Amino acid sequence: MTNIAAAARKRAPIFLVAAFALLPLANPAQAQKPGGSITVGLELDVPGFDPLKVGVYDAAVLTPAAAIFDTLTYLDDKGEAQPKLALSWTHSDDFKTWTFKLRPGVKFHDGTPFNAEAYKANFDRQKDPANKCRCAFYIAAVNNVQAPDELTVVYNLNDPSVNYPTLVSYPNQNAAVHSPTAWKTRGDDYNRNPVGTGPYVLKSWTAGDRMVLEKNPDYWDKDKVYLDRIILKPLPDAQSRFASLQSGEADIVWDDEYDADNIQKAQKDPKLTVHSYTGSGTQPYAFNTKTPPFDDVRVRQALVMAIDRKKMSQAITNGLAKPASNPYGDGSWVKCKDDGALPFDVAKAKALIQAYGKPVEFKTVVTATPRGRIVGQVLQQFWKNVGASMELDQVDQATIPPRAFMRQFQLIPWRIVDLADPDPQMFANFHTGSPVALANYSNPELDKLLEHARVTAEVDKRIEDYCAATRLINKEAIWFWTFQNTYYAISSANLKGLPKMYSGMIDVSRVWKE
Amino acid sequence: MVAFVARRFLYVVPVLLAVSLLTFLIASLLPGDLAYVILGDQATPEKVAALRHDMGLDQPIWWRYLSWLGHVLQGDLGRSFRTGQTVLQAVSERIPVSLELMLMAEFIGLLIGIPLAIACAARAGGAFDRFMTGGAFAMLSMPSFLLAILLIYLFAVELRWLPATGYVPFTEEPLANLRFFVLPALTLALAEWPGIMRVLRSDMIATLQEDYIALAKAKGLKPSRILFVHALKPSSLTLVTVTGINIGRLLGGTLIVESIFALPGIGRLLVGAIYTRDLVILQGVVLLVACGFVIVNFIVDMLYAVLDPRIRHGHA
Repeated sequence: MTNIAAAARKRAPIFLVAAFALLPLANPAQAQKPGGSITVGLELDVPGFDPLKVGVYDAAVLTPAAAIFDTLTYLDDKGEAQPKLALSWTHSDDFKTWTFKLRPGVKFHDGTPFNAEAYKANFDRQKDPANKCRCAFYIAAVNNVQAPDELTVVYNLNDPSVNYPTLVSYPNQNAAVHSPTAWKTRGDDYNRNPVGTGPYVLKSWTAGDRMVLEKNPDYWDKDKVYLDRIILKPLPDAQSRFASLQSGEADIVWDDEYDADNIQKAQKDPKLTVHSYTGSGTQPYAFNTKTPPFDDVRVRQALVMAIDRKKMSQAITNGLAKPASNPYGDGSWVKCKDDGALPFDVAKAKALIQAYGKPVEFKTVVTATPRGRIVGQVLQQFWKNVGASMELDQVDQATIPPRAFMRQFQLIPWRIVDLADPDPQMFANFHTGSPVALANYSNPELDKLLEHARVTAEVDKRIEDYCAATRLINKEAIWFWTFQNTYYAISSANLKGLPKMYSGMIDVSRVWKE
Repeated sequence: MVAFVARRFLYVVPVLLAVSLLTFLIASLLPGDLAYVILGDQATPEKVAALRHDMGLDQPIWWRYLSWLGHVLQGDLGRSFRTGQTVLQAVSERIPVSLELMLMAEFIGLLIGIPLAIACAARAGGAFDRFMTGGAFAMLSMPSFLLAILLIYLFAVELRWLPATGYVPFTEEPLANLRFFVLPALTLALAEWPGIMRVLRSDMIATLQEDYIALAKAKGLKPSRILFVHALKPSSLTLVTVTGINIGRLLGGTLIVESIFALPGIGRLLVGAIYTRDLVILQGVVLLVACGFVIVNFIVDMLYAVLDPRIRHGHA
């Protein structure tokens, strides 16, 4: 009985992959039916859309943002940048200047023309130190944006970026293009009255409740937009969110692997479709290599070898969470034949701890939430098995970044999010001197690999660099990875055309109902 | 009467001050500095220090309390750092939902509780009385989150009679609005009626042993007239208190019930503010809710006076 269940679980990912074959662009043969409306159940309330007010878009904001706003590019099924508001792009030889040619004739919902000046105004507003926007952090690598003519936008970067168009491909706080007229006239109210160029227009929004979006009749790509109306609702409770889907009140709901019971129930239900996407990135931990016992590589290696990720996944997510052996993940174009991951090997781990000779006692920072505690306790158990004693240091989520920046930790959880290019995070996390190079570890060889990878255009060579980098990181065990980033949504089976959930974004702007 | 009202009102002021102090302390003592929360993954020591200074968080706590209180007294409860909404905006948008939910829950609770209490008191110690007292106890021990999920699975998923989650304003679609409120109000009411029933039942039993009831019986009045006219009003004093205190309990209940049924009320606002560490909203809403609770209790005190002349005249 358990074997059958286990086998079904193992096979589940294949079905999920099959669900993605039904993409609108990849499969034009499918009959796409225009009209109708859907209700989307998100987890959290949407705080608003003004980057100056909300600072960073979370997963709940991305879904309506993808309907209201456009970006310069979008990511196709292969993860490559395709034209959206930009029709084409070129770069300088040193990859520090990117020039985008804009789509002519596009208008914002309020009638304001979209052009290079409007684009530049968006960027300048975020970058302006007087506005103190938290969003400025994420465009720190951009020196300035210029608008030499009506339809040309030039990005001048501080550092080379060979894949920049993929980094402006989803409507986050920086890449979504807002109408300058709207934010100027609306002022404080703009946050709740967003105006973009996207396929849907915000019709009404009741705080904490429904947001109604209606199809933009003047959209430049309106033939590929099918639904007349999209209703978004925050449904904070996982059980009633799933019940709303079962009872037909919602057509698609956000979910995550901690709600494994309902996801697995939905996988067996022919009336429902489970959409999942394993992106790039991972859920990592960083050792502080300047503090004992982690100044000794044997201790770090032993602890990494003591972790049985499969068992851990079983314990916390019913086996849904996918083990990670490198920082790139299944969703990344960086695929390594050999990533140098240390094997799960209790005997060897024990031997390494014994060779170290001193007692291994340390603290691990975990969030003071049920999830944080469970993960911490599972690790605690693995490490106890090899003779290391770990204590949980429970802290509020918000205090993890400052502790990390000040290196006030021995072992700390971090995150590597799903991004189309590994450079921004790999460079920040592992290059000597970066504020989030949390391991306090410096290695000229690793620095050289990261520096080379960011200025190299040939993908094969970059992959070589990144694989060499992860082999080094794994061997030195300065960070370790637990699970990959997998994003979930569950929909009724007649909802079609949902694209890959890059960065966890449920983009319903081009779906249809059968 | 005027003197009575004025006297009671004087008690309210220190209570409200104490509430404001407690609210402020609790919000300030929560782990996770607001500057860390706002800065998120950019919380470098320099940025934290600069933001703390901008927000006045580097000032001593008593000074921050006084300055907050000063603003509150001028009607400025502050703005959410997440949404830019003021506390008053956020509360006024959501209060109708919670009020409707609480009123409906209280109404259903009374609708179930009062007739059952009268029926039990009429034959105290009888089979029905013993059964209901046990049933009430069982009902009281059922947590509302469990009850809510059970009701959703029964009425929304299996029978499909009522929606599981959602809301429309009463002014837009009155009938749909009521449909959305049935399950959440029932969830709260099912925890309410046992208390109502038990309080009224024991008071009724006591009243029914009074001499004037014996007199009424001797006069040959109909038992129903004795129960509903002669016994109910004098027995309802504790019930009024319980109903008043229940408003506080119900407010607590809305935290859970509004989250489960996705109703955009005060409870959801509070839970959201706790999760996102939106301390300004948290502080402001708790203060307003506490004021509301104090005012309700003030009104209950006034109702006593109406129900029992002895209190009104200061002889109690």
